Amino acid sequence: MFSAPFTFAALSQHFPILQVVIPLIAAPLAVFIGVTSIAFLLAFAASITSLIISYSMLMQVIDGSVISYHIGGWAPPWGIEYRVDAANAFVLLILSAISTVVLPYAKTSIEREIRASAQTLFYTCYLLCFTGLLGMVITGDAFNVFVFLEISSLSTYVLVALGAERDKRALTAAFNYLIMGTIGATFFVIGLGLLYMMTGTLNMADLANRLPALSDNRTVQTALGFIVVGMGLKLAIYPLHLWLPNAYTYAPSAVTAFLAATATKAAIYVLLRFMFSVFAPDFTAATGALNLIILPFAVIAMFAASIIAVFQADLKKTLAYSSIAQIGYMLLGISYFSHTGITATMIHLFNHAVTKAALFMAVGAIVYQTGTSFIPKLAGLGKQMPWTSAAIVAGGLSLIGIPATAGFISKWVLISGALEKGWWWMAMLIVASSLIAVIYVWQVVETLYLKEPVGDVVVKEAPLSLLIPTWILVIASIYFGLDTELTLSSARAAADALLGTAPLAAGAGS
Amino acid sequence: MSDKKIGDDAENLPWLGRKLLWVDNPANVKRVFQVLILICIGLFFSDFIYARHGKFEFEQYWGFYGAFGFIAFCIVIFGAKALRTLIKRDEDYYAPHVVDTEEYPDSGLDKASYKDD
Amino acid sequence: MIDAFPPAFIFLIVATLLPLIPGGSVRATIMLLVPVASFWLIWNAPTGMDAQFEFFGFTLTLMRVDKLSVIFGLIFSVAAFLSSLYAFKVHDRVQQSATLFYAGSAIGAVFAGDLISLFFFWEGTAIASVFLIWARGTEGAYHTGMRYLIVQIGSGVILIAGVGLLYQQTGSIAFDKMVLESLGTWLIFLAFGIKCAFPLLHNWLQDSYPAATVTGTVVLSAFTTKLAIYALARGFPGTEILIYIGAVMTIFPIFFAEIENDLRRVLAYSLNNQLGFMVVGIGIGTPMALNGTAAHAFAHILYKALLFMSVGAVLHRTGTSKASELGGLYKTMPLTMIFCVVGAASISAFPLFSGFVSKSLILDASATTGHWIVWLVLVFASAGVLSHSGIKIPFFTFFAHDSGKRPKEAPTHMLLAMGLTAFLCVAIGVYPAMLYSLLPFDVEYHPYTASHVISQLQLLFFALLAFGVLMRAGVYPPELRAINLDFDWTYRRLLPKIIGTVSAVASTIWAAIIGFAMRRINNIISGLYRTHGPEGPIAKVWPTGSMVLWIAMLLAATLLVSFIDLM
Repeated sequence: MFSAPFTFAALSQHFPILQVVIPLIAAPLAVFIGVTSIAFLLAFAASITSLIISYSMLMQVIDGSVISYHIGGWAPPWGIEYRVDAANAFVLLILSAISTVVLPYAKTSIEREIRASAQTLFYTCYLLCFTGLLGMVITGDAFNVFVFLEISSLSTYVLVALGAERDKRALTAAFNYLIMGTIGATFFVIGLGLLYMMTGTLNMADLANRLPALSDNRTVQTALGFIVVGMGLKLAIYPLHLWLPNAYTYAPSAVTAFLAATATKAAIYVLLRFMFSVFAPDFTAATGALNLIILPFAVIAMFAASIIAVFQADLKKTLAYSSIAQIGYMLLGISYFSHTGITATMIHLFNHAVTKAALFMAVGAIVYQTGTSFIPKLAGLGKQMPWTSAAIVAGGLSLIGIPATAGFISKWVLISGALEKGWWWMAMLIVASSLIAVIYVWQVVETLYLKEPVGDVVVKEAPLSLLIPTWILVIASIYFGLDTELTLSSARAAADALLGTAPLAAGAGS
Repeated sequence: MSDKKIGDDAENLPWLGRKLLWVDNPANVKRVFQVLILICIGLFFSDFIYARHGKFEFEQYWGFYGAFGFIAFCIVIFGAKALRTLIKRDEDYYAPHVVDTEEYPDSGLDKASYKDD
Repeated sequence: MIDAFPPAFIFLIVATLLPLIPGGSVRATIMLLVPVASFWLIWNAPTGMDAQFEFFGFTLTLMRVDKLSVIFGLIFSVAAFLSSLYAFKVHDRVQQSATLFYAGSAIGAVFAGDLISLFFFWEGTAIASVFLIWARGTEGAYHTGMRYLIVQIGSGVILIAGVGLLYQQTGSIAFDKMVLESLGTWLIFLAFGIKCAFPLLHNWLQDSYPAATVTGTVVLSAFTTKLAIYALARGFPGTEILIYIGAVMTIFPIFFAEIENDLRRVLAYSLNNQLGFMVVGIGIGTPMALNGTAAHAFAHILYKALLFMSVGAVLHRTGTSKASELGGLYKTMPLTMIFCVVGAASISAFPLFSGFVSKSLILDASATTGHWIVWLVLVFASAGVLSHSGIKIPFFTFFAHDSGKRPKEAPTHMLLAMGLTAFLCVAIGVYPAMLYSLLPFDVEYHPYTASHVISQLQLLFFALLAFGVLMRAGVYPPELRAINLDFDWTYRRLLPKIIGTVSAVASTIWAAIIGFAMRRINNIISGLYRTHGPEGPIAKVWPTGSMVLWIAMLLAATLLVSFIDLM
């Protein structure tokens, strides 16, 4: 295999493993080299390579085909298999695209937020986290998911803690997150253990073959419960979200932007994968019952988290709670148990990643210039930081779901999914919850534009190195509201992939 | 307004304005009113010299339109007066943040009067 | 491929590029050319459905060309031209761009052949137009603009909700005649009704139009409400309830207009009253009535613009549009006065003026179909129109008691715009065949019969006589510096008060509940941890502890659900 000529074609056979290995190798290299600027270049190069790989893989599998990569040549179910279909290729693309935009931003942003000696370590942790997220998504092996989950989580705790330079509360937040994350991971691995006990396999495809025979088995039921709750913690399903607001608020701005756009998204993907590919098809009756858990909490999240967001005084916290509400929309899509529902979840995964990253980056730019994201202190910034403020407005519009923004497309698909099921009341709830978003976005706009600045401090516009990445995402969030070709077809293909391996037709009703 | 306003010098006014100055004279206003009465009388009697093609029977009555117009106008006026006693409030009722109590900003206007000459 | 290029796109494209062009006069000139191009395009557009494209699997139609859309498209282009001429010296990029965006969206909505593109343009008019209010640049204008925007956006949201439901039900997004029989159509009806200023949904109109800039109000007066009229005429012709809604609309604004001090608000009330006539026409729904609605909208846009222009010119020169501060301006602004009188005569429907030839179609239709009460209401309203628009506006501005103000005549471009508009008002009145040929249906109608002319003159002159008598008797209500409450009191005063009270009560209760719940949860958590040994420091961190509890509860619930499902 290695004697093949070193061509792109030959290399492309190994894309699935390269996707994970490149950032994984870059991470320790960054420490060894020890020079911040080189570490950045290394991380950026790794990220761009990942982006290219994930894009070319998505283009390969968007037609519905599957890439199956056997690590070390060991065929599954004995060896570890990396399995790329439209669903995870799409998520991989989201992860690597966001990472590629966030990194240049991070370079400038962390210069003021993290002490110089720790900056190299920042890149290392960032790369590890990135590796972990990519690994979680790409792997076809259930235990491998756990391993990568831990890689990403452990590095995330460090990344959040790095915010202590700016605010000591980052340490508590990281510690809380550590406890929650560990419980989540433990639950997840307990679930896997139970599955392994009953089936003797950890390969997802293999599990999917064997589970139907065991659908009446209580151990398997229990396993599902543990996996859902464990992943629920990682993706901040509503009552299990308590780690998220503090972690996002006190982490360095770049970390927040990255995490908000990627970490929960990867977890949602894993949940989707388990619910629709592994525990399926016959199991859907039981997963359908989970609707009783996911649907109500999704709706509660849409409202409760949005309302909490309204009352926050820290813009980062507002956005963090808004993330929890947006996760509610994604879970709502899952709970439809329909093709349109999953399409809605997938497209919102993308659109929200872009929008929220843009917003957190804009807030990061404000933190960079003013040192605070406390809303009352942002009064009058609209004139002093016009581009940053405009980015917040544009991102906010997308968050609300105004037409011609990416957020609108998500809500549109989500509402049409609800109407498809005849749940017109759900459509109304979605619209009503969007109206709450209007309130918290409006508060920020009002503060930025309509209030007089406090004090005489003259604030300058953020440097271009922060503005350009932010605006790339802002423009993307508008662009994908107008041209939905890529996102919608990918999301549809992803839904096909998730449902195709396990047709839901019979168990669609709950 | 005791002192004479510059604009009142007839030669300062535009031609058309000068030609219309007579309406300020109360005697002329009275004359206008008398002309109005004459027109109304004429219109009333015109009902007798042509056949009205109304869609409704009540339209055919002599002076229907005139009476209706007169009464309708009075109803509007007295109705509005009554309404005013109920709903009139000071200009600053909704203040602050209302246009009623604000001056129109000069930057958007081009105020100019004959006094400026 | 596309035979009919959507004229809206010219507006939108130019509006986007306009701010980049240096030189205010250059921009103002371009703004004059755009409506001309649009007029030409509409005039030459082939009848039928055109400019269709796919969007989310829906077929959107941007050019549905028939006589109904053409007449509205043409008058909107004319209005855009006249208001741009009136605003020739306004070189503010925001206002210029917003005007084009607004006019373009309105024209786009008129030619929209499906409800989704209608929605986009519908919201376009909402968003673009608010800048004409904000452009005044005062705190009050800003807040008024916000209220306006909320209502307008709300109308769009209700529209799209209705469209969604309708689509769900019928599988079609075509914008055709609808019947009020499902929630979806009712919502669409409500959305149209908000923009059309139905009674109790009308306050945004009187609230916002006096708050816009001098030129902004002229622009505003042409599009939003007439777009709603078009939408109703297209979607709900012959819907009986509209007759009664329209009749109420013609009546109640009269009384408010009579005692209102701000002349631009008087005109806003009068606008509302004129809309009532058109709504009645739609409700009757016969070809004659719909022709009347279209004709009246056409004539109305012109004379209403003319009235707003003349009052605007006064505001422009004196800084106020309040009747109590004005008077005697005929001496120095005689041309403006004459144009104002032309507008007043047109709206009052004096023979030889445009209102006469358009309004009578609706009155005739209501009489022909036997709605005699409605007919009486409309005749009553016609006399009422004379009182506030025909007499009050010109009389208190240009005559009445001398305010001592000696403003200069309006600037040339404004006079030109007013003159042109006044010419059109008279031209339509004198030669109505031109307007009639544009109407959606072929109906034979002759406004100038002896009986029609004389009865109208009797109505108007006796009303004038009543004015003279009441004026001389001193019972005519004087102009006072004051405002009048309207239905908007409910949401500007009552609602905030209720919300304030409720939220105070609610927050007290909420705090009590939360306090209680917090204590309970803390007790449970500390209880749990006491049994688990002295892990002190972690147990005291509230989120962690409660989170763990949540995890346990959620796991339990998940398992329970799965197990029960088995049984």
